[in-house]
Amino acid sequence: MSGDRDDRIHDQLLQRAVEELRRPVQLDPVVEARALDQIRIEAAGWPAAPGGFRWGAWIAGAAIAAGLLLAVVFREEDPYPLATRTARAAAAAGEARPVYLRLDAPASSRVAVVGDFNDWDPSATPLRLIGKGGVWAVELRLKPGRYHYTFLIDGRRWQGDPSEPPAAGSDFGAPLSVLTVI
Amino acid sequence: MHLRRIVGLALLLLLPAATQAQDARLAGRLDSATAASVQQVVDSARRAGLPTEPLVQKALEGGTLGASGERIVAAVAALRGQLDRARDALGGSASEAELTAAAGAFRAGLPPTALRRLQSLRSGRSLAVPIAVLTDLVAEGVPADQATRSVLDLAREGRPDDEFVALRRQVQIQRRGATSNRPALQPAADPPVNR
Repeated sequence: MSGDRDDRIHDQLLQRAVEELRRPVQLDPVVEARALDQIRIEAAGWPAAPGGFRWGAWIAGAAIAAGLLLAVVFREEDPYPLATRTARAAAAAGEARPVYLRLDAPASSRVAVVGDFNDWDPSATPLRLIGKGGVWAVELRLKPGRYHYTFLIDGRRWQGDPSEPPAAGSDFGAPLSVLTVI
Repeated sequence: MHLRRIVGLALLLLLPAATQAQDARLAGRLDSATAASVQQVVDSARRAGLPTEPLVQKALEGGTLGASGERIVAAVAALRGQLDRARDALGGSASEAELTAAAGAFRAGLPPTALRRLQSLRSGRSLAVPIAVLTDLVAEGVPADQATRSVLDLAREGRPDDEFVALRRQVQIQRRGATSNRPALQPAADPPVNR
């Protein structure tokens, strides 16, 4: 009898574990979209280094091994994940870091972004069309700080970034967004 | 000795001219009268020890968005006033990033008391990101007292900057999810592009 009960408990635990493993990982949709965009940007225009695949695999393997080692070493000392600590260290040093902006603008022929980071120059930072879904994207390198910006579509229409908060008020009528880089 | 005096005199004459020199970005993007008026505001801010780059950026924003000269000067002057209030609220040791963030908070309608309470809880750590997140929450439509309470709670617990940003991101996702019938993009005003 006791053996049957143990088996049932064991089965229930196993069932719960399987359900947990089957549950899809929920990512922040903005983070997910930007990660996918970055993959598309790289696939669309940045060729891999010639003969780089084998080295890339070795380097990636070494990086993963080093990451796991560091994760184990630091596990008990810091409650935050390694990536978070690395990002914080970069922010503390005031280093520029990559920031990806994207905009769904399927019926547009060109999109640019203007903001505090490019002196509001409409010709400074064009976005690239990635894929066939009308998604435009660009990678910026920004130091930690707060940036106001807006998109310029087809050279005549302003549009805020739906992925980031709106700026509190707009002095000049165009919808502005605000980006905080940490 | 003679040469040293001449160099010293030249420096005395040149230094004020250098500090009053017009920012080339203003001259290149605004008409001369607007650029001169903006430069006056920028110079007065510099003399008062306030950050000047946000003022230049505000003027360039107005120039690119096709605003009139009067409107640009008024916006720059208003921002200078907000920076002044920010320093009054946070004190003379506040950083440029903190003052700029606080000016944005005032613009969003937050009272100086909220910033001072935050300052008392974050002694020795930058206030720039918590203030920015507080401002963003209010701009997203969260009532000011509720947003302030949430940010103060994180500050009280000594949370790092990225957790403030994570809070803002979470609120943004929840609020936009709750109002998914609303168009995600604000209809864009169509001011002419000033090139």
